[in-house]
Amino acid sequence: MPAERPELPRGWPPAFARGEANRRALVVLAALRGISPRRLRELAWRVGDAAACLEEVRRGRAGSPKDREAARVLDPAELLRRAEGVGARPVAPGEDEYPPSLLDLADPPAALFVRGARLEPARRVAVVGARNCTPAGAEVALELGRALAAAGVWVVSGAARGIDARAHEGALAAGGPTAAVLGCGIDLAYPPRSRRLLDRIAEAGTVASEYAPGVLAEPFRFPARNRLIAALSEAVVVVEGAEESGSLITADHALDLGRQVLAVPGPVTSPLSAAPLALIREGATMIRGPADLLDDLGLGAASAPTPSASGLGMLEQRVLAHVAGPVLPEQVARAAGLALPEVLAALTRLELLGLVRSVGGRVERRGALWGRPAPPGA
Amino acid sequence: MSVGGARVPRTVYGRVIGVTLAGVRGRLVWVEAHVGRGLPALVLTGLPGAAVTDSRDRVRASVENAGLVWPLRRVVVNLSPANLRKEGPGMDLAIAMGVLAASAQVPRERLERFAFYGELSLRGGLVPTPGALPAAIAAARAGLEGLVVPLANAPEAALVEGLEVVGAERLQDVAGFLRGTWSPPPVVAGEGGPPASHPVDLAEVRGQARARRALEVAAAGGHALLLVGPPGAGKTMLARRLPTILPALSRDEALEVTQLRSVAGLLPRPGLITARPFRSPHHSISAAGLLGGGSGLPRPGEVSLAHHGVLFLDELTEFRRDALEALRQPLEDGRVVVARAGGAVEFPARFTLVAAANPCPCGYLGDPRHACRCPPNRVDAYRQKLSGPLLDRIDLRLAVPRLSRRELLDEREGEPSSSVRERVALARERQRYRYAGLGVGCNGQLPGPLVRREARLAPQAERLLVEAVEGLGLTGRGFDRALRVARTIADLAGSERVEADHLAEALSYRAPVDEGGMARAG
Repeated sequence: MPAERPELPRGWPPAFARGEANRRALVVLAALRGISPRRLRELAWRVGDAAACLEEVRRGRAGSPKDREAARVLDPAELLRRAEGVGARPVAPGEDEYPPSLLDLADPPAALFVRGARLEPARRVAVVGARNCTPAGAEVALELGRALAAAGVWVVSGAARGIDARAHEGALAAGGPTAAVLGCGIDLAYPPRSRRLLDRIAEAGTVASEYAPGVLAEPFRFPARNRLIAALSEAVVVVEGAEESGSLITADHALDLGRQVLAVPGPVTSPLSAAPLALIREGATMIRGPADLLDDLGLGAASAPTPSASGLGMLEQRVLAHVAGPVLPEQVARAAGLALPEVLAALTRLELLGLVRSVGGRVERRGALWGRPAPPGA
Repeated sequence: MSVGGARVPRTVYGRVIGVTLAGVRGRLVWVEAHVGRGLPALVLTGLPGAAVTDSRDRVRASVENAGLVWPLRRVVVNLSPANLRKEGPGMDLAIAMGVLAASAQVPRERLERFAFYGELSLRGGLVPTPGALPAAIAAARAGLEGLVVPLANAPEAALVEGLEVVGAERLQDVAGFLRGTWSPPPVVAGEGGPPASHPVDLAEVRGQARARRALEVAAAGGHALLLVGPPGAGKTMLARRLPTILPALSRDEALEVTQLRSVAGLLPRPGLITARPFRSPHHSISAAGLLGGGSGLPRPGEVSLAHHGVLFLDELTEFRRDALEALRQPLEDGRVVVARAGGAVEFPARFTLVAAANPCPCGYLGDPRHACRCPPNRVDAYRQKLSGPLLDRIDLRLAVPRLSRRELLDEREGEPSSSVRERVALARERQRYRYAGLGVGCNGQLPGPLVRREARLAPQAERLLVEAVEGLGLTGRGFDRALRVARTIADLAGSERVEADHLAEALSYRAPVDEGGMARAG
């Protein structure tokens, strides 16, 4: 590769995906492992269209030796059949459905495979975070997803477990649209148990991937996937994440793209607060819950369902007054001057009312999310 | 009657009583001996097991080395009843005595009133033999006057009241006893027994008040208990103290426990075992090791060695699946039936199960100060292993957090085992009274339909239960479990009915593997 690299024009060459031959070539290009979207775009501006790019790969002038082999044997018709098998269609640059916001990227996807609704211009917000999230984090993600969907905003995420899945589920629960971007072929599910969630998302919204059917999930594909999540959204909300988490990569992409970055703070003692707190310190917008988020999006607070704290007995009120962060039941008993069995009984009632939850033998307060009234004594 | 020399004795037939083991029970066996014409040989008939067949040459050597005479003729020994397989080495002594009787070397007077049990050495010695206690119980039940056993087993056999126990070290002494020329040393029943290897007490547990309370409930109602927590939370320490808050063993229970140890050959010192057993098998144990079995004399498994005590399975997920599945029968029936070629053998196995597990492979899931580093799919696979049919039978589940230094410093020393044990004993007494005639000892043994009838819910508790079914997603089995535990909490409180508070506390022991999961539930 020559060292001097002229600034490329935005997006793909106009003729890149025009015509049947180019579209077939695109499908094969999306299956190659050794040629990144950035390289492919450089190549495309040099040679003009997708078919020419593929020819370069076949001749060994681009991509890896394995790509050369793959480019010769892969059958675009077969790949398309596999996509059709899960109800997916290819979307190429230049088509109406290809989201223009993706072209903000220096390495926009050469193609998208899409299941479900069209990715039309609409307000979209990404909610991302840790896979091994805490129950509190899961609840925040659920509430954010719910509130966004209820306000008509698409919830974009990666369909991983933990925060991602909860955000999608929240949106689905509110009957609203949501989009999942995958790090593997559109016909696959990673983790495998996310398949049902993906089917539900495809029904109510959209599932998209830049990889050809059959491409397996590999570690390097997830950061790449995260750039699409950022590019598709006007804002990225990070709920929980460890020090070097994928959420930070998504946030970095969002900053590069000029998207808004928001973060939900957590206790400074929790390792899963590392990512959001670092972002806030660097200037991300701190949000305390759905109300803040909707405010920042200029949508005003839509009222979320509120757990009722009225009608609490004396005992429950006394117990609740001593539950804040994660605390042992016996600490509550000592502080409230009650016997442990009484406290355990009261905690069960408070849990039934949605006011506390237990985490690994400790109990903590629920319902302190901004956007729904805090229970009395908070 | 002449002893020395190889003269042909006058008598040709003799009969003595021996004992064989069927499971944990002794069965009396007639040992008939006939000395007849033919080449010198010993023929054993009457379904001898491998260990008994083995004794043929041993018995002859033993008799000769004891200075007694082995008739140089064809000796036939028949073990009756013939349909019962005779297992174990304890038949040696009876076979030897049968031959001595048939060759008129011992008088008959006492022969018919005593049973003989013990293994012989080639030198004519009586070797310590597992199973002397069940042999003694069988002899006493049959109304015999006494039992001859190896001296080392005499204190154990003497635990049985109303039986004269003769402890001998040498075969010639047994012959001397029958002839009236040797009297056995006095035998002291091994009362008191060996003290618990390391006396522990609940008071030593700092903090973990909720887990201590759960132990009390488990002890009071005989409920199985699952402790889920990170390494270092104190799960093993807690489990080890459960036997100390169970009521003391009754004499009958102590005899059963001692008997099982006797059969397993695990009586370190002779004597009645008075401490509740605590068994903690390693997770590599096979199903046979857990349940009992083995070739030859069937050995009681860990579930039976934990009879009337506690079976602790640490690292539950590491145990073999088939071993855990096999626990269902003893958990339900309080006994184990080991099927074998010669018929089924039964061992009692009424134990309290305590299982422990980490919340995830790395152990830190749900810990507020440590991040869990497990890949999510491994957490799923782990959770999958933790659930299953065994879990359905565990009434009490709780998360045991690892306490911070600060939290530990907050804690005073806990209540001693003795005072908890008093409450447990009272609660158990109430259950025994209520369930008299139902064939159920405690709430933990109540099957679903029965618990719904016996729980006696107050109206407010009924309402709470309906809310819980909806609000907590309680399943049918979860419903029964909550009722059983609530009934025990009411019994601890001395309450006739299950009040709403009792049920609410019971519902707090659901976590952390139920429905939503351990720490990810939203």
